[in-house]
Amino acid sequence: MSLSVSLPVLPTAPSVATGGPDGLLEAARPCTLSQCRPGSRATVLGLDDCGSDEACRLRALGLCEGTAVSIVDSRHAMVLDVRGTRLALGSALTAGITVQPLPAAARSARG
Amino acid sequence: MSEVAAPVVEPTPPTPRAPANEAVLRLALVGNPNTGKTTLFNALTGLRQRVGNFAGVTVERVEGFFRTTSGRRVSCLDLPGSYSLSASSPDEQIALEVLLGRARDGWRPDVIVVVADAAHLERNLFLASQVIELGVPVVIALNQMDAAEAKGISIDVPELIDALGVPVVPLVAKRGQGIDALGRACEIAVTLPAPSRRFTLAPAVTEALAPMVERLEANGLTTSAAELEALRLLSIQHLEPHVAEVPGLDEARRHAAVTLGQIGIAPQRLESDSRYGWIGEVVARAVTTKEQYGRSLSDRIDGVVLHRVLGPVLFIALMAIVFQSVFTWAAPMQDAIEGLIATLGTLVGAVLPEGDLRSLVVDGIFAGVGGVLVFLPQISILFLVIGILEDSGYMARAAFLMDRVMRRVGLHGRSFIPMLSGYACAVPGIMATRVIENRQDRLATIMVVPLMSCSARLPVYTLLIGTFVPASTLPLGFGLQGLTLLGMYLLGTLAALGVAAIFKRTLLKGPVRPMILELPAYRWPSVRTLGVTVWQRAMLFVRRAGTVIMALSIVLWAMATYPRTSVDPSEPEVVQAEQQLEGSALGQVGKLIEPLVRPLGYDWKIGVSIAASFAAREVFVSTMGTIYGVGSDEENVQALGDRLRAERNPETGEPVYTTLVALGLMVFYVFALMCMSTTAITVREAGGGKLGWSWAAIQFGYMLALAYGAAWLVYTVGRALGY
Ligand SMILES: Nc1nc2c(ncn2[C@@H]2O[C@H](COP(=O)(O)OP(=O)(O)OP(=O)(O)O)[C@@H](O)[C@H]2O)c(=O)[nH]1
Ligand SMILES: [Mg+2]
Repeated sequence: MSLSVSLPVLPTAPSVATGGPDGLLEAARPCTLSQCRPGSRATVLGLDDCGSDEACRLRALGLCEGTAVSIVDSRHAMVLDVRGTRLALGSALTAGITVQPLPAAARSARG
Repeated sequence: MSEVAAPVVEPTPPTPRAPANEAVLRLALVGNPNTGKTTLFNALTGLRQRVGNFAGVTVERVEGFFRTTSGRRVSCLDLPGSYSLSASSPDEQIALEVLLGRARDGWRPDVIVVVADAAHLERNLFLASQVIELGVPVVIALNQMDAAEAKGISIDVPELIDALGVPVVPLVAKRGQGIDALGRACEIAVTLPAPSRRFTLAPAVTEALAPMVERLEANGLTTSAAELEALRLLSIQHLEPHVAEVPGLDEARRHAAVTLGQIGIAPQRLESDSRYGWIGEVVARAVTTKEQYGRSLSDRIDGVVLHRVLGPVLFIALMAIVFQSVFTWAAPMQDAIEGLIATLGTLVGAVLPEGDLRSLVVDGIFAGVGGVLVFLPQISILFLVIGILEDSGYMARAAFLMDRVMRRVGLHGRSFIPMLSGYACAVPGIMATRVIENRQDRLATIMVVPLMSCSARLPVYTLLIGTFVPASTLPLGFGLQGLTLLGMYLLGTLAALGVAAIFKRTLLKGPVRPMILELPAYRWPSVRTLGVTVWQRAMLFVRRAGTVIMALSIVLWAMATYPRTSVDPSEPEVVQAEQQLEGSALGQVGKLIEPLVRPLGYDWKIGVSIAASFAAREVFVSTMGTIYGVGSDEENVQALGDRLRAERNPETGEPVYTTLVALGLMVFYVFALMCMSTTAITVREAGGGKLGWSWAAIQFGYMLALAYGAAWLVYTVGRALGY
């Protein structure tokens, strides 16, 4: 069911992006949230492939375009850190959210 | 801030009295789920509504009353939690109706208290910002200040008041801190001008929205509320029914969407972008967070609880321990109660003269009601354990773990929470399905919640297991009795999943909705909450035993005693009693029923007990108690279990109750729906009227068929295997 196994190229992208302290950060390519690894961070780009009702709910929950989320746990479903709350999302949703993976070092002080 | 301003040595006013003509202040508690609305409601009103550490505990509106320190009488409404005003599940609709003044009974709040979780302020401010724009006085109750502090979050309250433009009162509702200040703030808030939006939209956006706002204003909304509604309508894609009631609104909405698209703004994200944009600034001003190093305790616990392998193992182990404890911990208490009832029964029996009255008291009431009451310890322990699961935060984790299985079924993980509540009682379980947005999914869940073994089945299970399953210990310290009980619960649960899968593929066909579930931080279960829950449920059980079950016991005793038949006095007393019983009304009914239950291996006594228990499951136990009380020559009240073991078939002399018969009976009780309250609540929650009744009939029918079929299968296969 999970897409992450069938696409071997993308999941490695976030870790490649961990540049040295002064080195240029190689921007990872956008991917779906379901392809991100636990422990990584990503910025939400779009919720277009979720159902519209679900997208509306997610936005109210603070998971809207431009939000940075951390992936706490990932399997058939995901646990995310969204604005300090823990949100569990089914795989149909995580596969419908496009994100820009963030370099692991850029942990901002988040409440 | 209001708390500081409170005079410390204010002379306490003589008993607060409200001026006779002063109107009651109407206050509605709203907020995100699990922020502590009900905790606050209980602290304010002194009531004891259910509290738990997961989203969706409250699914009804509940009214309570209290007086503020100045003596003003307040009518307070506790509402289901909601993440936004665009909510779509039935429980959220209830909160919405009240907020928007659309409640059917016309209840409109004078002041809205938005209960916000201080530890997750950013997310909570989304709903708060919407409510502020409704144009009704608002007070923000900043709850769980203790939890926020523990997380290293400090909130500058004056700054927050300035940013939001409404009173903000910090609280620790759990300890009752800040309650009085909240009351005062509400009294002040109603005198202030109505709050309105705190951020501005780009001029081009305002212009695009103008036609919508105009139509909404013409329909009676204030400017602020009209703008809120315009933003909200653009964010949702489906059409709400009331949109059609405002002339030209739908057209204006489509037009606005196009205009926004032309200036490069996606209409559905306009609201979240603007609100969260503004909220980000507010949080930056008012909230400081100490950087936490390493993972939080909650995340570390989740590392184990949600672990791929350990998680499910832990879940099953937890259940096994629960059912083990039902036998081991409860046994001494149960023995004590059993002894007490037996002594009392014997004492009363000795005082009363020989005759029908004595038989009524000893056989009808003591053997019947007493037989049920002895299970009070088991019920209490079950509720204690469920309470711990609910208040610790485990419920949401169980739902998460079950998501994968639930998806195969055709539902999502959240549907598992009502099913888990069903372990306590199907009625709140069915009510809890209100958190499910999709009607098909909700109905499928309602249909299977009664398959989850509820506490009313516990007396039947424990009586039969305690009597017929040896108390041998297996490796790892598990007892065979506890495991058998666990088996019954698993059987019910698996059946529930299977049946739901069938419903989702036939009558209630529909796509699988994806799960969206908040995992609350773990908390130590509050002793007070647990105490209240266990006490309430225990009292309910005792009251039920004293009313419904008592009444049924008396009726059944009368049926087992009359009409008197002539018996052969030369026979021994036991045989006389047996003949008498068979000649009674109950005996005759039993003979009618017997052919129906013969294939399951039961005699007429079990048959009538089953028939009687369609009124309430526990009546099985009380009826058996009465039948065996009336049908014996014993002077003493004897434990029912011992009597069952001793019962022989008069013709063959073989024991009536073999382990196989007991097992079949339990399986019957796993599946059969024997609870009028469940049927009543199914009728209501499935839509009421004819529709509700037909769903309730389907539920009752399939469960009965399942029960009969499974019990027959157990008996037949067991016999074939030589048991
Ligand atoms: N630490 C802390 N916990 C609190 C406080 N108030 C409530 N809680 C806990 O928060 C959890 C949720 O409380 P509820 O009162 O059920 O929350 P609710 O808002 O009514 O939840 P729903 O009915 O599901 O919307 C419970 O475990 C409470 O014990 C508080 O001031 N501090
Ligand atoms: Mg509540």
